[in-house]
Amino acid sequence: MELYKFLPKTNCKKCGKPTCMAFALDLLQGKVKIDDCPPLLESKYKNKYDALKDLLGSEEGKQKELKIDVDEDLCDGCGICVTVCPVNARYCPPTLSGKAPDYPPEKHQLFQVKGGKCELLAIKHCRRIEAEGRERECRVCETYCPRKAIKIDYV
Amino acid sequence: MVSKRVICAGCSLLCDDIIVRSDGLFIDEVIGACLKGKERFDQCMAKNRIISPKIREEGELKNCSLEEALERVDQILKRSSRPLLYGFSNSSCEAQLKGIELAKRINGFIDSNSIICQGRILNASKKFGITLTTISEIINKADLLLFWGANPAESIPRLLNKVLFSRGKFRMTGREIRTLIIIDPVKTASFNTMGVRDVALQIDPNKDIELIRALKEECCLDGSIPPEGVAGLDKDDMKRLLLNLSGAENGVVFVGQGLLKTQKDTNLIKELLELIEIINEKQQKGRISLVLMGGHYNMAGFEHVALSNTGKNHSLQYVNGELIDSEDTIVSKINNEDFDCSIIIGTDPISHLPSSLARKLASKPIIVIDNRKSATSTIANVVLPSAITGIECTGLVYRLDHVPLELKKIINPPSNVISDKDLLEKILYNFETQF
Repeated sequence: MELYKFLPKTNCKKCGKPTCMAFALDLLQGKVKIDDCPPLLESKYKNKYDALKDLLGSEEGKQKELKIDVDEDLCDGCGICVTVCPVNARYCPPTLSGKAPDYPPEKHQLFQVKGGKCELLAIKHCRRIEAEGRERECRVCETYCPRKAIKIDYV
Repeated sequence: MVSKRVICAGCSLLCDDIIVRSDGLFIDEVIGACLKGKERFDQCMAKNRIISPKIREEGELKNCSLEEALERVDQILKRSSRPLLYGFSNSSCEAQLKGIELAKRINGFIDSNSIICQGRILNASKKFGITLTTISEIINKADLLLFWGANPAESIPRLLNKVLFSRGKFRMTGREIRTLIIIDPVKTASFNTMGVRDVALQIDPNKDIELIRALKEECCLDGSIPPEGVAGLDKDDMKRLLLNLSGAENGVVFVGQGLLKTQKDTNLIKELLELIEIINEKQQKGRISLVLMGGHYNMAGFEHVALSNTGKNHSLQYVNGELIDSEDTIVSKINNEDFDCSIIIGTDPISHLPSSLARKLASKPIIVIDNRKSATSTIANVVLPSAITGIECTGLVYRLDHVPLELKKIINPPSNVISDKDLLEKILYNFETQF
């Protein structure tokens, strides 16, 4: 209901939904974005648009995208992230004994060291996205990086 | 484009899992190597690479042909009676063998970099005995890693990756089952890999020997630690350290440069070996072994080559073609100015040695064999370029755990550049034939 207050409430159906209430529900679940409502982008609804953006900014924790940031200036390519990452360990057997994985990389592989620097390959296979339960809280790469070059963040 | 699995010679760990993609002329991509290894592979095309022989004429280094340079080397060696050969830690074992042959022929004094690093501990081990171990055994069995005076995260970047985080045959859980202890006066980058059960000990500088003595006493007689602690550590820390050491099934002590360089006497090494011996006797189910951390990729090689060929592991003094017993080391030789020319191979003593010694070394003619410009090569009388071992020529080298590995050739060296083994062979040949 909180979100419905800031919508135009005209039931114009320009967004493809039957009513503004339906749009508000989908907005809450993250199925649609604010910009999908065409009348809201008009100048007379600008105040409501800004208010809605502020409101969603604080509530949108679940929809934020995972970002693993590797600082290239700090990284010295020691490969600890390659070895400790549980996804790498499952799909690239050489990393079990501390060795570099094969090349070209396996499609699930998350980290690789190339040209003396760590590279992020397929973030969509990270445990923080794919796994369930406590495994979702995985932070091993960030914890064990001796140079503190890896930062896990949501943006 | 061909992908090859090669051994990286960036540091003494000699990682054998590096993939290099090259078209036969240049190296395009290096996968799996750390920044140090990458630099090593980049060295072929680096700006400070020496590709032409140089001789000093009227105070300036000038490019010349290899024959001219070798002739000048011959002149210098013919005039000298006490030449000095130093370096060899960045050369293959074949080149080291040729170096010893050359020293024997020209009645010189030959020494490697290991004399100011791990040479002393190996010398001391002749009397007391030493238990070494290999990297694969550490991966499969070790449950306690003690880094004493070492910062592996920065000096040998992939070492922690291999020994601490890897999952071995009997240590399937990897990091969780291994205990890490670091003893260092400075809080280095290695401290960042500490877990909950690990022990971080920041001791006072130059107090290592007091700590070792106190640990020894505590081993023999319980409760002998003074209540105020030793070397900046309190009683609980020391007890925790001892408990970990004596409880380990397969403990490994990594002896770093910090421990080897702090003191002048060999007492510290003797006491350390004795401490390990006492702990090994005391504990029931396991043992503690040692790994000596060298910097250059073939530092351990010279020990083996010299020991198996001459019976002495460093500081070989030849007189009339015979090896004589002498207490001299490279430092005392330079300090007493007991030399009249020097051949420096693959190292940079002018920037590594103290300035007083460097000045004395620079006062006599210097012949440099190296692949990159350094402080030594800029003041040298003759500079001979060499191919890079492990990239442009093959060679046998010893890893830091004294395991021999064969380095392969990946690309061709620049034209007219030959390996340091061939250069030494030519110098030796010229010396024997020309009059």
